[in-house]
Amino acid sequence: MSKNFSRLLQLFGLFILLLARAQGALQSGGDFSTNTDRKKLPSGTIFVKGAWSSASDSVTALPEGGRVVKNVYQNSYFGLTYPLYPDWMEHYTGPPPSDSGYYVLAQIRPAKTFKGPGRGSVLIAAQDLFFALTPHTNALELINYSKDRLAADYRVEQLPTLVRIADHSFVRFDYGSPAAELHWHVLATQIRCHIIQFVFISRDTKLLESLVEGMNKMNLPDEAGPISGRGGGDTPECIKDYANGENVMERVDPVFAEPRFNPVPVRVIIDKEGQVKHIHFLSAFPDQAKAITDALFQWRFRPYLRDGKPVEVETGIMFGRAPRPATISSTNAATE
Amino acid sequence: MKTIKLASVLAFLLPLFFPGMAFAQTDPGVRSNTGVNAGQPFASVTASPNDLAFFQTGLAQFNEHQTVTGDNPGLGPRFNLDSCGACHSQPAPGGTSPAAAIFPNVGANPQSQVIANGVVNGSTNTIPYFVLANGPVREARFPFFFDQFGNANPNAPNGGVEDLFTVSGRSDAGSCSLPQPSFNAARAANNIIFRIPTPTFGTGLMANIDDATLLANHASQANNNLGISGTFNHNGNDGTISRFGWKAQNKSLMIFAGEAYNVEMGISNELFTQDRPLPGEDQLGSGLPATCLNLAGIGYPEDITHSGGTSASTVTSDVGLFNTFMEFLDQPTPSTSSPGGATSIANGRKLFSAIGCATCHTPSLATQPSNLTAGLSKAAANLFSDIEIHHMGATLADNVSQGGAGGDQFRTAPLWGLGQRIFFLHDGRCSNLLCAIEAHDSNGGEASTVEAIFDQNLSPSQQQDILNFLRSL
Repeated sequence: MSKNFSRLLQLFGLFILLLARAQGALQSGGDFSTNTDRKKLPSGTIFVKGAWSSASDSVTALPEGGRVVKNVYQNSYFGLTYPLYPDWMEHYTGPPPSDSGYYVLAQIRPAKTFKGPGRGSVLIAAQDLFFALTPHTNALELINYSKDRLAADYRVEQLPTLVRIADHSFVRFDYGSPAAELHWHVLATQIRCHIIQFVFISRDTKLLESLVEGMNKMNLPDEAGPISGRGGGDTPECIKDYANGENVMERVDPVFAEPRFNPVPVRVIIDKEGQVKHIHFLSAFPDQAKAITDALFQWRFRPYLRDGKPVEVETGIMFGRAPRPATISSTNAATE
Repeated sequence: MKTIKLASVLAFLLPLFFPGMAFAQTDPGVRSNTGVNAGQPFASVTASPNDLAFFQTGLAQFNEHQTVTGDNPGLGPRFNLDSCGACHSQPAPGGTSPAAAIFPNVGANPQSQVIANGVVNGSTNTIPYFVLANGPVREARFPFFFDQFGNANPNAPNGGVEDLFTVSGRSDAGSCSLPQPSFNAARAANNIIFRIPTPTFGTGLMANIDDATLLANHASQANNNLGISGTFNHNGNDGTISRFGWKAQNKSLMIFAGEAYNVEMGISNELFTQDRPLPGEDQLGSGLPATCLNLAGIGYPEDITHSGGTSASTVTSDVGLFNTFMEFLDQPTPSTSSPGGATSIANGRKLFSAIGCATCHTPSLATQPSNLTAGLSKAAANLFSDIEIHHMGATLADNVSQGGAGGDQFRTAPLWGLGQRIFFLHDGRCSNLLCAIEAHDSNGGEASTVEAIFDQNLSPSQQQDILNFLRSL
């Protein structure tokens, strides 16, 4: 009897413990505590992230998931590897993806041990073509657009030109600032409907040419090119606005807990059966991401057919408020 | 020959003994040789007797010291100071944190003087450790609530203002007895952040830039090849772009004024109608004790529109007057020649733009037509801000979320009037421009590439030109 009672007590205690854990740690406010013997929060940590990137699973590669490992920038999503210039390093990682689909993939600078004559910066960035603020449809158009709208502070040093880098086609555009005596060499290609840009900045044009030359050590997927780069092969085919019209057979709108006014760009991978396989939020508050995830997994799409066979497709959907796009026109444009 | 040799030896030795003298660039400091270049109303306001009267009454109200009871009632029960103008005073009323020994020598940090000046009772209040006589005016926030063990809980965001002082012990505060928040305990837990006052010169112009102009500027800065891509904070009520405060969390000057009157001075008003407990008091469900409510004895709200007034400026509430005062404050006047001379400033302006600072610090935006005064209408607001919020990374992150802004996002700080500011960045951690620029280089920040260009690719003389330009503003 007493043994049973003791077991009952133990079970009751366990129940209370689980209940307390389920409710989370009690909060006392603590504004007036005199206890100064506390655990210190780590400095330099961003706990409160606001609208940030996230995904429906942790296995599928993401554009922002690239890392510098053993002096090589590696990005599984883009199938890209880029060996860093000797004695250069990633000092700081970039910000999260923006709500207009812009990624800082890596920022590379000389290490303190670098003995070269010049200093400079390498910025590896990506622009998601589905959510860009400017109305280009490929890397070539973007570079031509940038050239047309170059600010008065800069002068064109080389018009957009098609070049071969690491056995792939890139568009190259050079410009400079006479006031700052600085030069920008921009090389762009396109992978999975993202414009991948390598931006080299320095006063030293010889250094810049060596950095461009160093790009030949890169590995890129077959699709990479200034107007190609639309997925396929081992990756889903990417199609802008696929989640529209008759392609969407079932649609459930997300139910948001509170109104917000930020753009929420979302990339989804749709499987061969027309079901959502993977969701990537470029920028969303956690409550928005949850509501949209719950809804999107109920959507049904018409399977995408290539050569009569269903294939996976990747597309973009903008929830929330879309930023206003600009208009396009270009003179002296490079063409392919 | 001997002379040449001697010169060569000196050229080699001098930089060794005086490395700072040889090439190093320095912040010229607060511009003091051009007079005070801010704080005046628009010419169109001065030209209108009614508008000028409104402005002057607003200025007087802005500088007025509030008490718990009496002619200027409502102070407390918790507050950061007793007057708008005490904090917003550098280099003129409407500005930011002052200093005694720096032009125009407004005075010591007024928060450090509250006991000496009798604003608080020294037996019931202490001056917090982060308030220094020669330091910035500060408000404090605890990013997270504490758990029952006294540890900061990163899963329980707080971020509300923890007022520094209480009215307890003042002769006009009755039996109200309130403790100050535990700033030392928060410091021990690394759970405290600070904000300094934002200057309000030219804010009427900022309020009068329409959203379309901001969105067009946003789109025009895309594809900048510098790693920068910001966004906007929005007002939760109508979805338009909000623009005031360190995180652009406030939609209008009226809301900004009403909130500050309530939060910084403890004065309820027609926008924020109750006395405000601390976030911890609120979370506990206890609120403020009854002995600390309605201390003025006039009911709520303590600041109201006066139906018995005889003119626009005497009918208007204090908050309305603050709003009008700020709306009518003209933008600061930059110098074209000081410091460093006209050539250096002009070079600095070009370099500032060329290396990408101007991608976020937009030099000028046009305002829409104004129904208030001609000075606000179709004017060039030379604010050096895009009014966007940008990720500034871990170095500057304060882990406070406001509206759509997360823990490391801040509004591009407008730089107009920078030449006569003493403290920089949201928490006033820097009083040297080089320190403020350096803080832009941060893990997860948008400005790292631009800062690296400034730091590594410009010559010392080019850097000096940029510093001179910034101090000319």
